Amino acid sequence: MPYFFIHTQEKKLSKIFVTGMGAISAIGNSVAENRTALIEEKSGIGKLTLFASAYADKRPCGEIKISTTSLKEKLSAHEPGVTRTTLLALHAFEEAIFDSGLNAEELGAPDTAFINATTVGGMCLTDELYHDANKTEDGSPYLSSYDCGSVALYIRDRYKIGGIVNTINTACSSSANAIMYGARLIHHGLAKRVIVGGTDSLAKFTINGFNALHILSPELCAPFDKDRKGLNLGEGAAYLVLEREQDIHNRQPYAQLTGYGNTNDAFHPSSISEQGDGPFLAMQQALHVAKIAADKIDSINAHGTGTENNDETESRAMLRVFGSPPAFASTKSYIGHTLGAAGAIEAVYSVLNIYRQEIYPSLQFKEPIQSTLLEPVLNYKKMQVNHVMSNSFGFGGNCTSLIFSKA
Amino acid sequence: MLYIHRTACISPQQSFGEVDIERLNESVENKLHAVEPKYEGIPPGLLRRMGKAVRIGVGAALPLIKQSHMPDGIIIGTANGGMEDCIKFLNQIIEYEEGMLTPGNFVQSTPNAIASQVSLMTANKNYNITHVHRGLAFENAIIDALMHVRENPSHSYLLGAVDEISAYNYNIDYLDGWYKRESVSNKTLYTTNSPASLAGEGAAMFLVSGKPENAIAKLSAMHTIHTGDEDLVREQLKNFVANNLTGNQQIDLFITGENGDNRLQKYYDACEDIVSTDTTIARFKHMSGEFPTASALALWIACWLVQHQQLPSHMIKKSSNQNQTEQILIYNNYKGTQHSFMLVSKI
Amino acid sequence: METAELKKQLKKQIVEFLNLTSVNPDDIKDDEPLFGEGLGLDSIDSIELIVLLFREYGINIQDPKEGRKVLVDINTMVDYIEKNRTK
Repeated sequence: MPYFFIHTQEKKLSKIFVTGMGAISAIGNSVAENRTALIEEKSGIGKLTLFASAYADKRPCGEIKISTTSLKEKLSAHEPGVTRTTLLALHAFEEAIFDSGLNAEELGAPDTAFINATTVGGMCLTDELYHDANKTEDGSPYLSSYDCGSVALYIRDRYKIGGIVNTINTACSSSANAIMYGARLIHHGLAKRVIVGGTDSLAKFTINGFNALHILSPELCAPFDKDRKGLNLGEGAAYLVLEREQDIHNRQPYAQLTGYGNTNDAFHPSSISEQGDGPFLAMQQALHVAKIAADKIDSINAHGTGTENNDETESRAMLRVFGSPPAFASTKSYIGHTLGAAGAIEAVYSVLNIYRQEIYPSLQFKEPIQSTLLEPVLNYKKMQVNHVMSNSFGFGGNCTSLIFSKA
Repeated sequence: MLYIHRTACISPQQSFGEVDIERLNESVENKLHAVEPKYEGIPPGLLRRMGKAVRIGVGAALPLIKQSHMPDGIIIGTANGGMEDCIKFLNQIIEYEEGMLTPGNFVQSTPNAIASQVSLMTANKNYNITHVHRGLAFENAIIDALMHVRENPSHSYLLGAVDEISAYNYNIDYLDGWYKRESVSNKTLYTTNSPASLAGEGAAMFLVSGKPENAIAKLSAMHTIHTGDEDLVREQLKNFVANNLTGNQQIDLFITGENGDNRLQKYYDACEDIVSTDTTIARFKHMSGEFPTASALALWIACWLVQHQQLPSHMIKKSSNQNQTEQILIYNNYKGTQHSFMLVSKI
Repeated sequence: METAELKKQLKKQIVEFLNLTSVNPDDIKDDEPLFGEGLGLDSIDSIELIVLLFREYGINIQDPKEGRKVLVDINTMVDYIEKNRTK
């Protein structure tokens, strides 16, 4: 039996509001720019130019068109050892804390937590890592920047964050889990406010890894299309500031985080079971925590990577949960799969769905998968959106669903 | 409050199966390698794919799961997971110039391979998470478990930590000045008066719940700090002890993560300052070596000590006339920036 | 190379490449299924075997579906190697 969250504390839980957001991806350097591209249905996926790779012309990527050097300039991050993954994180982090109006004193308070997620960390520096791991002299300036923890540790030092600081890596569901962990810290009184999210930069490591598994598409990814050929990798970062209802005073929150669930598919190291057990249970659990029925969900930001396995199993799981699923789309068709950042960027998009009362379409879809016949949203539209579900599933069968609701 | 019901540990010492921590296994070439058991519970078809971190993690976790109900969650801390697989894949990228590569190393290189392999082998569809926050990866796993236990006291969780020595992370940390340049034995680790430490590895697993029945130990409190300031660490440790010990309780044993790195000695000196002469002070890094989740081994040792009441003489730094070990305080620090305190009590 | 010799060599390569530590190459039967029952390999192994064919025999199988037809047992693999090898 899968277990369900929160029995003993049910009555005491305070509402958790999203009071700030920051995002950077292939379609924009801010939340506002991201939204414009989503409304205009502009994909940011194209040829890889950031670094030389055998796959630059063969595997489209969602890259951010700012060089690492320019990011360092822009963010005044000149310390040796700062990686692109950290710079993207810093970019989105600063937007988020500025947006929510957190000041230095609040950031340094012992009840402010920072929960980051990343899967690539400093491994974007393929050549430096190859050297440092194999050669016994002349270490590069990046010796302490390769691990996943390095990103959060840099940001902690820069902003002197005073509370719990953590890094989560559960592959492609990492930042959805960071959001969930942050929310639970608030529920347990271990933090008053949390900054949660994730970051990943494009890397030869992940391009070659996913390519070796034959799941990188040679074309623009086409989530939920019957002829989909795999995923496109992307890069980006996003953070959300979560605060308790009693602390936000007169500020207008974007949305409320109402539900979350994490389960394991326990089927295979790199693919999801045929009936989508893990995704099914994660969605069910999130609904249980949010205390809403499935038919209250107005739209779903699907995991929708565009691989044969994900889209079909996620479709089955949505059919099992919803019978007839609500409007759903995969925004990976705009920015690619940003791995450790995906859950957070898609959480930002889900919050925008609610705050702006609009939904964004899936791109590149032509015909539905024959066994499930589900069609994603194909046009931008304004509509009543009270509850949005965001799905993130990762290697090792890790499945997480979040629910955001109207504040 | 976490009640610890069962433990298992694969470490450089004889900690798995027939435990004998009185005898001290020696380091080899500045490394303390885990003593690996035969892994009878892991089918050969799965074992062949596992790198060392996954192997020792799964190997320590399975006996705890086999003896009990399905845990309601699997919560793992590991800074690096399967670093060996990670760099093997990276080396393929460079050596075959991004040609046709084998994906096995890539799939195994994700740090959540340990938690997911345990769930896969035991068909566990519950909560499954991997914390990777370097020297506080295990401590964040503890916070996670503490929250779960508060939510559902009757549920049980597999909580643990793993890290491995790979040729590659040894090399990176060596270049970065964290492993000793001169040849040093773990038997004389604390008298070296030079920078850096010995490399170590291990996996420690705990079955925890909110119920005291049949528990072997209690983790009453845990705290983490990010700082480089030893005075702040001392201050916070003092508060931690004051807040979590009641009137007539006292610290019987203080286990520190002292690791022979003379740059970090100031933190240990500052913390030893706060305990009274009635407290025995002990160390464990000569048993485990230094690695980001070594504090999990300290917790395992503390659980063993409250159960067996036999403190190996090689651990003692300063003895006292204390003959009962009921309250154990653990202080660990990783690279002088990440610090944690734990309070472990006898049931 | 004689077919029998190639089979012997291939079995040894498979055991080494997939780290099948508990399998003696000579115990693999020529018609023993590689996947499911038999050797019990899975989808990741199938990709690894395609890499083996490329590195050892210069055979480049692009389509995993074609791979599935080749990677049935030792007989089918050897048959394919003999017809398609470039080294």
